[in-house]
Amino acid sequence: MSFLADYGYIGLFFVVSVVFALTTVLIPQILTALGVIPSKPSPAKSATYECGMDTIGKSWVQFNFRYYFLALLFLVFDIETVFLYPWAVAFNKLGLFGFVEMVIFVGILVVAYLYAWKKKAFEWK
Amino acid sequence: MIWALLGPELLLAIFALAVILLDLAVKQKGVLAVFSIVGLLGSIGASLALWGTNGIALNNMLVIDKYALFFDVLFAAAAILVILASTDYVEKLKGFQGEYYALILLATTGMMFMASTRELVSIYISLELTSISLYILAGFLKDAKSTEAGLKYLLLGSVSSAVLVYGMALVFGTTGGTHLGVIWNAVKGLNGIADNPTLIMGIVFLVAGFGFKIATVPFQMWVPDVYEGAPTPVTAYLSVASKAAGFAVILRVFFEAFGRAPWLSQSWGMLFAILAAITMTVGNVVAINQTNIKRLLAYSSIAHAGYIMMGLAAVGLMESQLALARSGILFYLAGYGLTNLGAFIAIIAISNNTGSDLIDDYKGMVRRAPVLSLGLAFTLISLTGLPPTAGFVAKIYLFNAALQSGLLWLVIVGVLNSVISAYYYLRVVKTMYLGEPASTERLSSSGPLRVALTASCFGVLFLGVLPNTVIQVTEAIKFLVS
Amino acid sequence: MGLAISFWLLAAAAVGSALAVVLLRNVFRAALLLISCFFAIAGLFVTLGADFLAMVQVLVYVGAIAVLLLLAIMLTREAATGSPFSRWRIGGAIASVALLAAMIAVFRATPWKVADQSVVLKPTTAELGARLLTPESGFVLPFEIASVLLLAAVLGAIVLVKEK
Repeated sequence: MSFLADYGYIGLFFVVSVVFALTTVLIPQILTALGVIPSKPSPAKSATYECGMDTIGKSWVQFNFRYYFLALLFLVFDIETVFLYPWAVAFNKLGLFGFVEMVIFVGILVVAYLYAWKKKAFEWK
Repeated sequence: MIWALLGPELLLAIFALAVILLDLAVKQKGVLAVFSIVGLLGSIGASLALWGTNGIALNNMLVIDKYALFFDVLFAAAAILVILASTDYVEKLKGFQGEYYALILLATTGMMFMASTRELVSIYISLELTSISLYILAGFLKDAKSTEAGLKYLLLGSVSSAVLVYGMALVFGTTGGTHLGVIWNAVKGLNGIADNPTLIMGIVFLVAGFGFKIATVPFQMWVPDVYEGAPTPVTAYLSVASKAAGFAVILRVFFEAFGRAPWLSQSWGMLFAILAAITMTVGNVVAINQTNIKRLLAYSSIAHAGYIMMGLAAVGLMESQLALARSGILFYLAGYGLTNLGAFIAIIAISNNTGSDLIDDYKGMVRRAPVLSLGLAFTLISLTGLPPTAGFVAKIYLFNAALQSGLLWLVIVGVLNSVISAYYYLRVVKTMYLGEPASTERLSSSGPLRVALTASCFGVLFLGVLPNTVIQVTEAIKFLVS
Repeated sequence: MGLAISFWLLAAAAVGSALAVVLLRNVFRAALLLISCFFAIAGLFVTLGADFLAMVQVLVYVGAIAVLLLLAIMLTREAATGSPFSRWRIGGAIASVALLAAMIAVFRATPWKVADQSVVLKPTTAELGARLLTPESGFVLPFEIASVLLLAAVLGAIVLVKEK
């Protein structure tokens, strides 16, 4: 049970973060309702930036597709690390066989990496 | 020694990696095709060298028996014909020839693993290796149709994979193992559906997931669009190797894990019998009205999946007929594979010249390309199931297996369907031989493509005239069961 | 007790956000709720004692897949206007409810093997590593095929996304 209890701290952390976010949003609302803060709306107050440039156009911008491409490659190598992790933890028990297996695994992905590199997948232009 | 047992698959995977690396170095991309074919031939050689060995490796997950080796040879041979037939296609690949060959090799590797593993996680992941390579290949041309084909295949394929893996999870949850032998040990102790309904639900999900791969009704909706839009060599590969791999897995999983308890095997046998009847009827009836030859062959491939499922039904309903039905399925897959590859190779050559897949544009083709037309006509006759072709023997042989299992009604449905199919296959032959050609220009085709067409037509003829040599081999094929 | 409460809370969160993903018309909001669904599932893994899987779920799904998903939405034009309702929605709803009913009926009718209550939960990562890579009891074959699968995925990413 103590194993699960450790997760209680994560749960506690989660609760605190939610409460913190909610209170910071709610405090001005409550204070306004109580009359502590005067309510005087003006266009300047509701502008996106009180100082600096006005924004132009919509907030919805179409992203460059290269971001997506990099995200795809990131995902592949992210999964590789997922496999590396338990191997590293169990390394003592696995011996030479486990090492060879992982060398093959990483070797195949090195081919993928080399290929992506040579095909200029990591270059912006 | 496990590396020797892994030979066919390992060799192919190494060649796939080598093709990728070689692609970075060489300018002359034709070398890659030759190199890939060498790898595939090497893999066939390794399979033949292992022929007769019964071995298990890698924690009993990989099994080397004649069944696995038969499929290894079948997939590699299909891949060779597809690569030969792709030579006229490579200009359209927009500088991605290396990837094209590498992905074909990777898909083949995945299929080989599918046929030779008996553990659900390995089955799933090798199936995904095959599927992902094929999704990419289907969208390879990057024009509107091909992209649509790739996307549709990816989306529907992912859903079916999800269903499949959910079914595997249910089977694992109720039997406590992913290894087919362990599953069988758990199934052995059950006496009926009421003992474990969740297991039955898992099996139904497995049928749905695998059913997508072999394109049985009602999971066939992706077939026409994907077959039409994908590059034609890839379509040929999909319709032959991918389907055969699906059957290879189904037969092994359903026999080894669920096939030796009569109450269970009779339920899935009946399920496959009903699906077979519906699938062949839907495929054949819808094929009648097709005007595009690739769509026509797409529906025809659905119909043939229906015929082959008769073999599965026979195994399920009468376990004693296992040897005959299994041999029937294997022979049918070999015969159908050669036939369909031949038909698609002829179509590749013709549409490369005319730029059209419409059946109307095949009018009078015999005067523009007599050899190609003869090849296409011959393979279409084999698809119909008329002598002296592989299709004829395969149908008789498989129908006989179904009869021995007491499936008279299904055989009658099959015969009626063959009659329907004769109408639309022979209509294409008639168009080619009796129509007026739109132009008199002769068609040209490359050497490798002609070699591939000749090889598959001779194969079809050989299986049709001297079937006994091959039937002796398929009847000797057994799988190792634990 | 605490375990049961957290299970039901997380399950409700997962099912609720999954439903919202299907029913919301705004694609972007649907994507955000899908991420919350992934997160709730990571929590479910924790309640089952699968700590490594929970970590992977957060790392891969909440991390990488979510980024990929949001980027894909941002790549498309007009995504903010949302997707129209499908003509099939009534049929889809009926089929889903029927499937749900069938599954509940089947699961209730099954005599499940219930694990011993005294099972001690312990960290699983090292055990997983051993099960993945030991020659006599491991899943070596799927492990190696996985790397080939990732290679095919890289090829696909480059072939399909790069122009020339």
